Amino acid sequence: MAEPAATSCPGTFARAWAKAVSGTSYLPMTQAQLEALLHRLTGRLAGALRAEPFDPRVGHQVGAELVAAHIASAEGLGRTVEVIQLRLVRDLGLVADDVEDRMARLLATVTTGYARALRDRTLDEQESIRRAAMTARAQAERALRDSEARFRHQATHDPLTDLPNRTLFTERLTAAIDRPGRGADRIGVCFLDLDRFKVVNDSLGHQVGDALLVSVAARLRRTLGDHLVARLGGDEFVVLVERTTGTHDVVRVAEAALAAVGEPALVDGHELTVSASVGIVERPVAGASPVELMRAADSTLHWAKAAGGARWSIFDPDRHRDELDRYALSAAIPAAIDRGEFYLDYQPLTSLRDGALLGVEALVRWRHPELGVLRPDRFIGLAEETGLIVWLGGWVLAEACREAESWGAPAPFVSVNLAVRQVHRPGLVQEVGGLLRQTGLPPERLQLEITESTMMSTAEEPVRALRVLADLGVRIAIDDFGTGYCNLAYLRDLPVTELKVAGEFVAGLRAPVTDPTSRTDERILASLVSLAHALDLTVTAEGVETEGQADRLRAIGCDAGQGWYFGRPGPAAGCLDRSPALSTLAGAGAVGSGG
Amino acid sequence: MQRPDWAPDTIDIERPSVARMYDYYLGGSHNFAADRAAARAMMEAVPDAPLMAQANRAFLRRVVQFLVDSGVRQFLDIGSGIPTVGNVHEIAHRIAPDARVVYVDVDPVAVAHSREILGDNPGATVIQEDLRRPAAILAHPEVTRLIDFSQPVAVMIVAVLHFIPDSDRPEEILRTLRAALAPGSYLVLSQASDESRGHTGERAEAERVYRRTDNPLSIRDRAELTAFFDGFEPVEPGVVWVPQWRPETAESAEDAERAVFIGGVGRLGG
Repeated sequence: MAEPAATSCPGTFARAWAKAVSGTSYLPMTQAQLEALLHRLTGRLAGALRAEPFDPRVGHQVGAELVAAHIASAEGLGRTVEVIQLRLVRDLGLVADDVEDRMARLLATVTTGYARALRDRTLDEQESIRRAAMTARAQAERALRDSEARFRHQATHDPLTDLPNRTLFTERLTAAIDRPGRGADRIGVCFLDLDRFKVVNDSLGHQVGDALLVSVAARLRRTLGDHLVARLGGDEFVVLVERTTGTHDVVRVAEAALAAVGEPALVDGHELTVSASVGIVERPVAGASPVELMRAADSTLHWAKAAGGARWSIFDPDRHRDELDRYALSAAIPAAIDRGEFYLDYQPLTSLRDGALLGVEALVRWRHPELGVLRPDRFIGLAEETGLIVWLGGWVLAEACREAESWGAPAPFVSVNLAVRQVHRPGLVQEVGGLLRQTGLPPERLQLEITESTMMSTAEEPVRALRVLADLGVRIAIDDFGTGYCNLAYLRDLPVTELKVAGEFVAGLRAPVTDPTSRTDERILASLVSLAHALDLTVTAEGVETEGQADRLRAIGCDAGQGWYFGRPGPAAGCLDRSPALSTLAGAGAVGSGG
Repeated sequence: MQRPDWAPDTIDIERPSVARMYDYYLGGSHNFAADRAAARAMMEAVPDAPLMAQANRAFLRRVVQFLVDSGVRQFLDIGSGIPTVGNVHEIAHRIAPDARVVYVDVDPVAVAHSREILGDNPGATVIQEDLRRPAAILAHPEVTRLIDFSQPVAVMIVAVLHFIPDSDRPEEILRTLRAALAPGSYLVLSQASDESRGHTGERAEAERVYRRTDNPLSIRDRAELTAFFDGFEPVEPGVVWVPQWRPETAESAEDAERAVFIGGVGRLGG
């Protein structure tokens, strides 16, 4: 049984205890606060040592309180056990028979309470940090998802107008077509393009242009809210009309879109009214493909544009097929040149004075593997549109020079048509000069035919090039004279040797002399001839089909003729062989319609 | 939530975090196996590491006490880490319940944990930001909500600068922060130094351990740390071993250089 001793110094013990546990872990308190705490616990330990019966809860509580006060480390416990064992009884002056037993039980309960509390605290902290990690991870993942969603939005929307872009539109169109069980559905697409948008951009600046696009996008979205409106780029928009019952459904959408675009709008301080063109395609989903639908709508849009804009056009499969055929034909030109599918026919240019063969015009033909022989009107226009004319024209020029050089006497000149692009291309002089050198064809046996429209450009370079070629001796002829460009000023600058008068004036000469139109054509021709002769130029009439025409042209003073009367286009050999006969027969006026 | 582009897009608890290693040094259990492994490797190399952390923590406590006593009521604790015992707001609120504290840390787990601990405490909050983006910290809506920069603020960057290499221009970071502060504000800095242990191999070992974390070490000496107080008036006793900074008892300042951390407080005059 413990008895209170004469000298009890709990303060001494508390100080020693505080010193022992200092530095064993971080203690968020001052030394004085620590001593005060341990002083209070010392009192409780002393009480427990004395208490009868022994109450284990006191030891448990002291252990737990130590941990709660952050004296919570293995070292802290070890030092605590040590200091209690060594000093508690002595410093407090406790005396009892069974003090050793009591001390052992006290230490057991303190360490038990301490270990329990420390374990709980450890588990709590582990749980807390794990929860924090999970929260942080969830936040990071949510942020990632948000940024992915933002990225997805950026990838599928147009930054200027925030409308869906081509990617999203194509996705939605594809989904609408591929959705299973929808085979019976119909679908429509409207391609919309602002008319003359470039003028807005060029005159008011891109900022106003962009603001106009934003305004148009907002109006389209507002008006066509039920349908997907996307911006494909530039001033091109597209509307997806799902579950249509026929073309009329899409026409209604197109008309609403045109009305919305046509509303006057105040854009960046400018009151702007714009119109648009719309290409409409509407068809069953079955068998449709997104790519082909978009392409069809795009071509249809261009029909609406070509018709003047501010309107819609509906897709026409026949017209579309024609365009595709033309496109396919033009795409096949380069390979056809490589495969040698092009060849030249020649048509004689005959003297009206004595029937002599003066020259031949080279005319290109395409022996198409599927379509048969194609005349230039089927492909030259295409080649001019695509720029392939430079390539094809170059081939014609080279082939004509090569073939003409091989012709024996009488050696007529060969006349070759030059396209506008060929004349305007730098290097024409080198190209022609090189060909003449390579083939050995004398320059005076080459005639280049250019159209009046070639000279419409004010560029000096083509004139200079033609002058250099003329100085070499190359003949320059103006083709289709009198039907195109009416400014004759170029005749002053150009080293022209010959005018070729368009067949439509000559056609008038077929009518009787009494016909007033015929007489007008004859007077025009006569004036042209006298103009040409006054300028020291020769005149060749094109499209001469009858003897009567030839006679009247000869009477006018025209120098030469070309046409069926003198010979149809054909291989060089036939052309050259027939010439002597023609020269005699022509004089006798006994030539029938040319063969 | 907008994800800052510098923040990781996932939480990898297999990678040691300096905040959770620090918690382990302090005897806490707010850490994972990877943190404990790295911390034990550090303690192997530098057995005094826990003592260093404790000394630094005690420095923080005495500084906050000093600042509150000096009348400071606003605290911006940048690099606050895992909020274990003896947080700034606990110390400050005990004396000044009206004090406002914003914790800033780059570690998303530390931030999530802080947020849980703070709960809806009206006087304290936490944001996830990087000390290297001081302008973003100053402009953060939570910071501007709680802190009035026309009044003195204590900016605490305690045991953090040794994770900021010179290439991150710490002097410019501090200049940006200083420019936002009103006269009477304070700057508190502490960081690891090797002046007492330059001859041992501990520095190289410590650097090797911390290379495994996202925050390699940049050890600096007293002159370098003192230079970071540019523009501030030094508060006695200047930059010292942290146990020597206004110790509570003479004993507690003994063997101060063992603490490795140097620290000090500056006051913005004017």
